[in-house]
Amino acid sequence: MSSATASSPRVTLLQSVALVWRTLRSMRTALLLLLLLALGSVAGSLVPQVGTSDARIAAMFRDHPLRARIYNQLGLFDVFGSWWFTLITALLLVSLVACLVPRTRALVRNLRTRPQPARELESMRHYTVRHVALAPDRAMARARRVLRRRLYRVAGSNGSAPQSLAADKGLAREAGSLLFHWSFFLILVGVIWGKGTGFSGQATIVEGQTWTEAHANYAGQIHEGRFFDEAHTGIRVHVDSFTATYRIPSGIPEDFVTRADLYDPDGRYVKTVDIRVNHPAAIDGVKLYQFGYGWAPVIDVREDGRLVASGPVVCQQGTPPPGVSPLQLPWDCAVKLPSLRPQVGIQFRLWPDSRALYALLSAGKAMPMLTEYAPVMTYTAYRGDLRLDRPQSISSIDTAAMRRWTSGVIGAGQSVQLGRGLTMSFPDLRQYTVLEVKRDRGLWIELVAAILILVGLLPALYTSRRKVWVTAEPDGSGTVLKVGGFALQRRPQFEQEFARLVDEIARSSDGRADEGSREKVHTT
Amino acid sequence: MSVEQWSRVSTDAFNVALFAYIAGMLGYFYHLAFRRPVVWRIASLTAYAGLLAHLVSVVTRGIAAGRVPWGNMYEYSSLLSLLVVAAYLIIVEGVYRLRTLGGFALAFAVLTMAIAVEFLYVGPGPLVPALNSYWIKIHVVAAIAGSSLFALGSIVTILYLVKDRFERRAATPPPIMGGAVGLEEAPPHFEAGSDEPVGAASERRGLLPSAAVLDRIAYRTIAFAFPIWTFAIIAGAIWAENAWGRYWGWDPKETWSFITWVIFAGYLHARATSGWKGHRAAVIALVGFVSLLITYYAVNLWIVGLHSYAGVS
Ligand code: HEM
Repeated sequence: MSSATASSPRVTLLQSVALVWRTLRSMRTALLLLLLLALGSVAGSLVPQVGTSDARIAAMFRDHPLRARIYNQLGLFDVFGSWWFTLITALLLVSLVACLVPRTRALVRNLRTRPQPARELESMRHYTVRHVALAPDRAMARARRVLRRRLYRVAGSNGSAPQSLAADKGLAREAGSLLFHWSFFLILVGVIWGKGTGFSGQATIVEGQTWTEAHANYAGQIHEGRFFDEAHTGIRVHVDSFTATYRIPSGIPEDFVTRADLYDPDGRYVKTVDIRVNHPAAIDGVKLYQFGYGWAPVIDVREDGRLVASGPVVCQQGTPPPGVSPLQLPWDCAVKLPSLRPQVGIQFRLWPDSRALYALLSAGKAMPMLTEYAPVMTYTAYRGDLRLDRPQSISSIDTAAMRRWTSGVIGAGQSVQLGRGLTMSFPDLRQYTVLEVKRDRGLWIELVAAILILVGLLPALYTSRRKVWVTAEPDGSGTVLKVGGFALQRRPQFEQEFARLVDEIARSSDGRADEGSREKVHTT
Repeated sequence: MSVEQWSRVSTDAFNVALFAYIAGMLGYFYHLAFRRPVVWRIASLTAYAGLLAHLVSVVTRGIAAGRVPWGNMYEYSSLLSLLVVAAYLIIVEGVYRLRTLGGFALAFAVLTMAIAVEFLYVGPGPLVPALNSYWIKIHVVAAIAGSSLFALGSIVTILYLVKDRFERRAATPPPIMGGAVGLEEAPPHFEAGSDEPVGAASERRGLLPSAAVLDRIAYRTIAFAFPIWTFAIIAGAIWAENAWGRYWGWDPKETWSFITWVIFAGYLHARATSGWKGHRAAVIALVGFVSLLITYYAVNLWIVGLHSYAGVS
């Protein structure tokens, strides 16, 4: 670059781009970025994250509002989705390209060209002179054979004197390393393609019901990728039963099974599956995972004998206070009757095992509910305005515009009169299962990438690059062989390998060690 | 035999192993200080005997529980310390023929086992559903094997840092060269080459083997561990995909194993970066070791996440 143009802004820009590029190419930058990535992840594991610790984040906003706001600004509540974490990852990937392109080019060049001759064998790290009884070309042929057998690439001049050859080995190291590093981009492709074109959501299905895979049926619990084509599959899942088994009395979970019949979009039966933790079911490129479960009492409400509400009601649990197991907690659900004037809402609290309620009432003792046993519900009914124009929770009632009306207890199989002609019955208690429904077409790409990462890593870490040169000069009836070489990695191992190599090359053709061999070994 | 009897055999064998390791550790330290080959031989044999008892303990534990013996933290710790001792005996004593480092490896095993019996013990029992998959068998074994090699590599790294300090102090360079003779300059003992596999030669000079030998063992052990750890993370992702429907969710256990992986990747890069070789790279390896301990203990015991089924309550 001439000094006349050096000050022009375009060149300065070019220069700074070149500087950034050079910085990104350096190993030091890669190292720093890796350590920054680790540091960011540490923050992500120590600060509560959205999605997994929402309650703790809310508590922090309540108790330390200033700190929480600063954390929020810095993206610390969502580290792995924050701009700076993405930036570090992106810089690492750019730096990776900057490293890999020249390395890959060099490797290709290296693979194309044959090992280069060298002068000055004497100054190599390993250098040996041997005298052998063979003629120079025979000795050379022998050296070539020995090296080839040891998987060296060999190139050499024939005829000219002194005869020489160059050999090298271990390009697998660089090739493996490059394969390893490039494979991270394959993972990236898999993630973007898979998440982008896929979806994942949660389906809540009560025993005996059939659920159809369609956007509306996720009740909002669905995340669709950016390139998702809105074409849900329409497959159907009929849940026969859900079973949760616990060890008694410890309450350690043993098994969760959803037995379901799967139907294709045309309503044809495909198969019956048992979906359990660790055993998802697959149909039409969609996978169904056991995700959660709960209780769904069947509740019928009649007004003067006419049904106004009927069917299973999904109950949910609040978060248990510290030291309390979710199994000890009752379940909350609600029935909303907007067609009545005034509107009526009934809030339930379900005890699937009524012994737990009595233990609590009589002895103040919490007891885990591991199976269904004479289930009971306490209820409180409200009258007024349900305010259904506002966002609703399915398991609770917005009582701001309602008045408490009546309350009581109802057991399975019973009915009670609420008054004003309303009768409520509780014929049956069922369970519901929550299935995670997912489609990710990138999985196989990521699996291939992961395998390539491992395949590349092994030669990258455990092989080494070695170079050897041999020259032969006639000397009386025999030949003087000079062998030089070095290894770029694993040098101590090469020390021995080199010695063995030289021995093998120098051994005379009839297999006996050459009597007259003269030796000069030096190690720098 | 009944479950209780198998379980008792397992506990007894565990105690035998623990005491053998303690005895072996004392012997190794004695040999380190006073160089008595006889004492070393006895210490080494004791360590082998302990290893045998330890193996019996792990196998009978599996029989008692009716499953693979790596389903909770007590069992992880037991297997981890077993593998650390085995890796020490195979790599350091077998391949590198060093005799003075045994006390440190056994001390780590003893500490891990003592914590295991004291704080983490639970009786044998079946697995919770989330753990009941054949991927766990692969994933957990790989994670423990990787951890044990990282641990051994880190122990040697600590010794390297200590020895390196002594060597630098002993070989105070002429003032004019100042700090110019760093490890990146490849000091003579790097070149000598004759100290491998007979690293034993380097043991005759000074209390510990030469810094170069220690550095090489540490590097090779960590480089051995890295692909195993990588595989463990991949297997864990496959398992998570099967169990929870997502292969990666930044759950604390996943996050910390990722952090550990990134730090050791940083270590491998540091070794190829001028100015970071030797000393600084070793410090990165130690940070990786701390991260490994957090991944192993803190995440299981204190940080809440899907992986919090260590079986300790
Ligand atoms: C995604 C982040 C990265 C990871 C996980 C990673 C991991 C690794 C690992 C495990 C090795 C040791 C295997 C080997 O010797 O080939 C390695 C080596 C290497 N990496 Fe990376 N790397 C990353 C990014 C980079 C970047 C951005 C660069 C560019 C500066 C880079 C350049 C190198 C080089 C030159 C080596 C060879 C070192 C040697 O031969 O000793 N890596 N990398």
